[in-house]
Amino acid sequence: MGLILCFWVAVGAAKDLQVGFIYVSPTGDAGWSYSHDLGRQAVEKLDDVKTSFVEAVPEGPDSERVMLNMARKNYDVIFATSYGYMDPMLKVAKQFPKIVFMHCSGYKQAKNMGNYFGRIYQARYLAGMVAGAMTKSNTLGYVAAFPIPEVIRGINAYALGAQAVNPDVQVRVVWTKTWYDPATEKEAAKSLLDVGADVIAQHQDSPSPQEAAAEKGVYSVGYHSDMSSFAPKAHLTAPVWNWSPYYVKIIEQVRNGTWKSGSVWPGLEDGIVDLAPFGPMVPKAVQEKVLAKKEAIKAGKFKVFSGPIKDQKGTLKVAAGASMPDKDIFGMTWFVQGVIGTTQ
Amino acid sequence: MFPFEVKRRQVPLRWGTCLIFMAVIFLSLGVGAILLAFQGKPPVRGILLLFKGAFGSRWALEDCLVKAIPIFLCSLGVALAFRLQIWNIGAEGQFALGTVGATFMALSFPDLPKALLLPAMLAGAMIAGGLWGFIPAFLKILLRTNEIIVTLMLNYIGILILDYLVYGPWKDPVSFGFPMTKEFSPGAVIGMIGGTRINWGILLCLLFAVLIWVFFRYSRLGYELKAGGENPRAARYAGMPFNGLVILVMVAGGALAACAGFIEVSANLNRLQPSIMVGYGYTAIVVAWLARLSPFYIGIAAYLLSGLRVGVENIQLDLQVPAAFGGILEGLILLMVLAAGFFTQYRIRIRSAT
Amino acid sequence: MILSLLAAAIQSGTPVLYATLGEIFTERSGILNLGVEGMMMVGALAGFLAAKATGSPALGFLAGGLCGALIAGIHAGVCLVFLGNQVVSGLAVTILGVNLANYLGTPYVGQRAPGFDPFPLPLLSKLPFFGPVFFNHDILVYISFCIPVLMWVFFRYTRWGLGVRAVGENPEAVSAAGLPVAGYRWAGVLVGGFFSGLGGAYLSLAYTHLWSKGLSAGRGWIAVALVIFAFWRPGRAVLGAYLFGGVMAFQLRLQAMGTNLPSSLLLMLPYGLTVLVLVASSFKKHGTEAPAILGINLEPPD
Repeated sequence: MGLILCFWVAVGAAKDLQVGFIYVSPTGDAGWSYSHDLGRQAVEKLDDVKTSFVEAVPEGPDSERVMLNMARKNYDVIFATSYGYMDPMLKVAKQFPKIVFMHCSGYKQAKNMGNYFGRIYQARYLAGMVAGAMTKSNTLGYVAAFPIPEVIRGINAYALGAQAVNPDVQVRVVWTKTWYDPATEKEAAKSLLDVGADVIAQHQDSPSPQEAAAEKGVYSVGYHSDMSSFAPKAHLTAPVWNWSPYYVKIIEQVRNGTWKSGSVWPGLEDGIVDLAPFGPMVPKAVQEKVLAKKEAIKAGKFKVFSGPIKDQKGTLKVAAGASMPDKDIFGMTWFVQGVIGTTQ
Repeated sequence: MFPFEVKRRQVPLRWGTCLIFMAVIFLSLGVGAILLAFQGKPPVRGILLLFKGAFGSRWALEDCLVKAIPIFLCSLGVALAFRLQIWNIGAEGQFALGTVGATFMALSFPDLPKALLLPAMLAGAMIAGGLWGFIPAFLKILLRTNEIIVTLMLNYIGILILDYLVYGPWKDPVSFGFPMTKEFSPGAVIGMIGGTRINWGILLCLLFAVLIWVFFRYSRLGYELKAGGENPRAARYAGMPFNGLVILVMVAGGALAACAGFIEVSANLNRLQPSIMVGYGYTAIVVAWLARLSPFYIGIAAYLLSGLRVGVENIQLDLQVPAAFGGILEGLILLMVLAAGFFTQYRIRIRSAT
Repeated sequence: MILSLLAAAIQSGTPVLYATLGEIFTERSGILNLGVEGMMMVGALAGFLAAKATGSPALGFLAGGLCGALIAGIHAGVCLVFLGNQVVSGLAVTILGVNLANYLGTPYVGQRAPGFDPFPLPLLSKLPFFGPVFFNHDILVYISFCIPVLMWVFFRYTRWGLGVRAVGENPEAVSAAGLPVAGYRWAGVLVGGFFSGLGGAYLSLAYTHLWSKGLSAGRGWIAVALVIFAFWRPGRAVLGAYLFGGVMAFQLRLQAMGTNLPSSLLLMLPYGLTVLVLVASSFKKHGTEAPAILGINLEPPD
């Protein structure tokens, strides 16, 4: 009898940890979902962990059903990687208190549901510094997907970084209203090139704006991952995500029983965001300056959204010497001065 | 040329619809299994997972019903127009306008009690959707503009209108700038039946289904519609108001799709956001044709195809099959229905040597 | 600035032009094939994969066309053999084609394929206005300049062209003359599918060198509309395709120049324009009729 009990306990203890991921777009897009999936693959390599994912899940009731499906299959941890999954996840979390739910880019929590995100805007700031130093026309182009806060925030950080090294710089924004449509993105990049932009940055998931920049012989800044293979002569650098260490950490915490709900927003100092290696065309002096700034941000000595910051109309939004609180950064819906474009 | 000849049947094959249903579904699943194998996934297990995900548990059955509601309503509307040989491809855009109309009411009058607000939202939705159906109908009867293209373009425009409103004037002030409206007040939410996840919108489905059945069976206009579809020229000679019928089917179709939109935004989402558009309007076309435009079979087909959608999520989860798999099956089913219809209308005989 | 907009209009309109020309060919033979979007997507994927596998963009382009024709063959089979409703069959082919391409193409999202790069023509690209606008593109664009002319000649002066047209206007006469009605109709659909596939392959081999889920983004439907706008004539199709390409390029440039208009509204321009264009076409009375038996299946003889 005792032997059977021991066996049972042993089996129970050795049970694999089931981890599920929900993505809002296909994983092959070399972009947002792709970077999360890299994190998932890192988790998969851990012992006694099995992962699976569902991709291209629309936000709303469909996502709720997918999460319920995972929950009923007794998954242990579920990661949802898009803002719109927040409310459905909360509903499911309330029904399954034993499962750990992690929501990316949101803010609602429960005892068994936490939020996480990454301060990619820090890397954007650094990329902006590089762009500002390399531009000759003082016009930077930005191919952006949707006017949501994280994109707007990225544009602002990029602009601030560029202006820090080159106060005359302007950032022009074109909205494509798609995360992944190479044809539209390329056309958007070309239209920016036509108005004189000589560095093209993007908040898109495909590398086609890089292609457009390379074709015209100007520079580009990638996103999500190192896009230099698509445009070796043009690619200056890119803000990149690195979810692997963070996801592994969460899994360890769940296994040890030390996981607690909460809202975390790590940045450069935790390695969750980073800057891709510099392209060969970036001068040493610029590289050093940017790396120095990176260290300053990591050490907490410099905050990206520290004043004075004015918006497009000239109103002072952050006073000199002050720095924007996280809440305002999170819900940013306006552009800083020097950005040309609408937020709609 | 060929050793057999084809003759039109005097009377279409009986039990045609049932036979076709089953043959088509069986064949489509077969091809689906082959495709799975092609991608290196276990074919039989995949198809079984599809079934299990769709019908294998009480929750799954409920989920299918919930999803079938909007598909059913859109399909009713589409079938109306198809009977008249008016090709209404615009259910998707009409659905979008329906959500917009309902949201307008919900946001304008959040404090009204449920008994007043819900009907107001329904009305708002149906007016918006009806309008969206009216435009192509009007252009068709006035200028003979091709309704296929107009309804299709209005799909894109309708979705962009939704986008515009949700990114702009209707954006929720507390959602940190994400494109969604405020959460609806309790008065604007259609509740669930008992402890299930099925919302009361299902009553609207039954209501409209019955209304349409009565319309076709007992009303003169319904008769004219059926006749007008089979032979428009003869119908016109007989003095039937063809133009009026065109307007009727398109506006009604738009209103029905809009009603589906109202139910989705009110019961399942509780706010308006772009991700509400998941392609029900296009699935509705497959359903309508599979069901040969009859309301009863539309109900069954809607349930089956929503089962397909739900089941595909299960295969995705367990086998990492790409999401487009469901769409392939839908396309296959429709093609096979079309091909199979041949056998109920025509018979093949060996050509006798003469 | 205007010059680059015009050049962009041509490049952006080229895939639509290929597809429109293909659909004109099909509809002239009396068949309505709404599956253009599906054929374009399949052509795009096939072209992408073939170019990747063989290293030759030209082979990829050809493969795209062939696969487009293959998908069109399904439509032909369902409509011409099984007498399925042409409208619904076209829709089914679209649903099938788009999803099939997505499904099979999922592993290849984010990868590059060898493609066509712009290739300025030696003397012509130096011409003052016409140079930068017309002669600074890739070779597929140049080919697309020739096709409308060839098609016009085909329809007007060759026996096969007359046969295709006749079969779309009066199949009884064609059959009475002893010519193969079914053969012409099959040819109509397959050739149309081939060109639609080419249009799709253009997107993944020249316009970008990538493959993605929504690559055609509704261009196939625009092509179907443009056929009506073009009054089923190849020459006018050119005008329509470039006009449409121009609008798509224009709204992005408007944003780049710094407008305050919401982007959702700007994005409506191409679709709204299509509706307007259709409405305007409905006004012209003479010489704009669709082929007489467009969309109608031929009953088997008694």
